[in-house]
Amino acid sequence: MTDTQPRMIELAHVSRRFRRADGQQVSAVNDVSFIIPEGEFVCLVGPSGCGKSTLLQMLAGLLEPSDGDIAVGGRQISGPGPDRGMVFQKDSVFPWMRVIDNVEYGLKCRGIAPAERREIARTYLRHVGLSHVERAWPRELSGGMLKRVAIATVFANGGRVLMLDEPFGALDYVTRHQLHDVLLNLWNADGEGRRRTVLFVTHDVDEALALADRITVFRAGDQVDDIPVTAARPRTTDSLLLPDMVAIKHKLLRHLGLDHAAPGGEAAA
Amino acid sequence: MNLAIRDRWVSFGVFVAIVVIWQLLSIAFPAEAAPGEPMVAGWQVLFTRTFLTMADYWQGGFGVPSVAEGAERSYLAAGLSLLSHSAYTIVRLVCGLVAGGVLGLLLGLAVSWSRWTRRLVDLPVQFLRTLPLLAMVPLFQLWFGTDFIGEILFVAYGIGVIVFAGTVNAVRNVPQIYIDNARALGASRAALYRTVILPAILPEMRSSILLSLGTGWGAVLGAEYLGAQSGLGYIIVYAQQFAYLDRMFLIALLFILYTSVSYWGLSRLTARFLEWAPPSQRQ
Repeated sequence: MTDTQPRMIELAHVSRRFRRADGQQVSAVNDVSFIIPEGEFVCLVGPSGCGKSTLLQMLAGLLEPSDGDIAVGGRQISGPGPDRGMVFQKDSVFPWMRVIDNVEYGLKCRGIAPAERREIARTYLRHVGLSHVERAWPRELSGGMLKRVAIATVFANGGRVLMLDEPFGALDYVTRHQLHDVLLNLWNADGEGRRRTVLFVTHDVDEALALADRITVFRAGDQVDDIPVTAARPRTTDSLLLPDMVAIKHKLLRHLGLDHAAPGGEAAA
Repeated sequence: MNLAIRDRWVSFGVFVAIVVIWQLLSIAFPAEAAPGEPMVAGWQVLFTRTFLTMADYWQGGFGVPSVAEGAERSYLAAGLSLLSHSAYTIVRLVCGLVAGGVLGLLLGLAVSWSRWTRRLVDLPVQFLRTLPLLAMVPLFQLWFGTDFIGEILFVAYGIGVIVFAGTVNAVRNVPQIYIDNARALGASRAALYRTVILPAILPEMRSSILLSLGTGWGAVLGAEYLGAQSGLGYIIVYAQQFAYLDRMFLIALLFILYTSVSYWGLSRLTARFLEWAPPSQRQ
């Protein structure tokens, strides 16, 4: 991404410490600073417990940083806001609302008129391919369909920043790849200039390579690397086999401590 | 034959067996508390002579004179008597149920609403909870009188503490993910309680409400034992003074009927709001 694009997310020296049950202070996020321009798709990669989910929770406004500043769209955030949307790892779709009411929920909270919000919700349900179940109860849907509902909900809510916290971690291979397409199509739906800014947490290296413009690597609360992914979009299975991409993959695997099986991994880096 | 139908037949069989055993007991133990007052009244006595004695409690009206006015006991007066006293009891129960249910729910929600409401509500209500309900009957009687208000307050108290405890517990069990999701989508605190907390606690609240209904029936009887001049509890106390065991038993049967019907009705009513839940939470 070029410098001409406005800064969407700015983190300055953000830290978050927890007190464990045994009284010990644990540092989940440690003096992290970065800037994400508008419209960029960034993947946060790291082993579990590296603080990437905590970082996302702070950006969502569900957690307060112990230190540092977070600004979204040039404004300091305090608490959750409609400028940001979040897709969680666990199923977050409200079981007591029908699918369409779930998608409308954020719009309803903001006082959008019923007819208008229904139309918006229908649009996004169509985008994620769930028009046929808009009156269904969530218990009647599969795990992959519930994720589609969650994605439609945050897109319908209109936030310019979307955060996804290992959203597809619990899904099977096929469903996961279908949802990658759903997500990227929605991201592209309004044209290249109107893309939303996406922060996508994952521990799946291939997932990050398929989705991201940039991959940021975390380990033990520190940001340890920041890698641009240059491959053209739309990416195919073959894109992941390009030499550049293979090199990035080795680099990421090494960060995760997994690059034992890659001969010449050092050279590629 | 499918299992559900077989279950129903087995239940019916058990019911018939209980009826028959009672009749056999009444034949096996013909002892009488007073002349003409069997200790174990058979069905032929309960539904004729005993039922007729209910006319004694008819207070007159609808052109049907009461026994106190010199009329003979009649089935019509007996029926009206049971209906009117049942109505007194049921009105007390329903008023107490609504008042106690709403108050218990609101106080229960207040515990999680904010730090300040928790500080204000939690300790006093937890203290109230530990007071034994039956021991409070005479206190309520002396504090609030034996009139309508005193009785309703007592029932509301008995129900309120159960609903309160149920609410506090149910709110604690709401998965954090739904709260996070609602907040991230922009819900205010009031919207969060209305659209997330309330529906999420409903399946659990349902069992609390059904539990409190049992206590409610007990509490309304307890309130009527002391000083009420109407209601089914009043008939029991009156009958007890003369050792009319058959009358007490008839009222007890009526209670079983009312309790079952109220359980069934409330559980049907709440099931309508639980269409979304998996079937296991709706039964």
